[in-house]
Amino acid sequence: MNKQDYIGACCELVELQKIRNFIEDKALEFGLSKEAAGQIALAVDEACTNLIEHAYQFDKNKEICVSAEKNDNQMIVSIIDDSSPFDPLLVNRPDMEAYFKQFKRGGLGIQLMRSVLDKIEYYPAGSNSVNNILKLIKNIH
Amino acid sequence: MNNTNKFAIIQKADSKVVKLELSGYLDAHTAPQLENSISQLINDKNYSILVNFKNLDYISSAGLGVFMAFVEELRDNNGDIKLCEMTHKVYQVFDLLGFPVLFDILDTEEQALEKFRKGDLKKNE
Repeated sequence: MNKQDYIGACCELVELQKIRNFIEDKALEFGLSKEAAGQIALAVDEACTNLIEHAYQFDKNKEICVSAEKNDNQMIVSIIDDSSPFDPLLVNRPDMEAYFKQFKRGGLGIQLMRSVLDKIEYYPAGSNSVNNILKLIKNIH
Repeated sequence: MNNTNKFAIIQKADSKVVKLELSGYLDAHTAPQLENSISQLINDKNYSILVNFKNLDYISSAGLGVFMAFVEELRDNNGDIKLCEMTHKVYQVFDLLGFPVLFDILDTEEQALEKFRKGDLKKNE
């Protein structure tokens, strides 16, 4: 049986630790290793940071909803927002060699998310939901 | 993770090298603190910075971005930023993005200080 829990957070960077703690606790409860739990918490942090900084532009009146569920052998985290749709899957993978030569910063969060997750799905508002839904999926081994 | 261990920086000087000891978590919320500390060091013309990660529990890309922001300026001034004593969890984040190519990441402070003494600089060529 699927069990889904969620946490609501204000659109402030100080909330990131609360979100990470929630995800890490759920991941351990779902049977992920400590290392894998840390990785999915990192991915969720990166996604929420992008939302707070770019989509909501630090608007404290906004809220982010993060839910966690276990489905067969997967942990699925859904991050729900009502900002303008932004599909992180459309962001090109950076050429890291060129990136380092330019000493750039930022823009690495999505690359990290891709590195630690097994699957990322994005459903912009209007398809099946009034909100955008980003699903971050990690297999439970 | 717990809520009491937020983020802290302790600064110490060892000859020409300034050491920063990080603790807690380094994310988008706390990264500006580190950014301000390094900015201040550069303003004071300290260009050799050793960062000890022994007590840092967590880092996200916002934390990594701070090191990216300053490394070029430090090297342009014949200095460097060297990193040491990372936990496996923190090192893994650096490694996933290929940062060990750009930064010296050492097991111990002594190894990092020795690299500073020798003037070793990680080149990105």
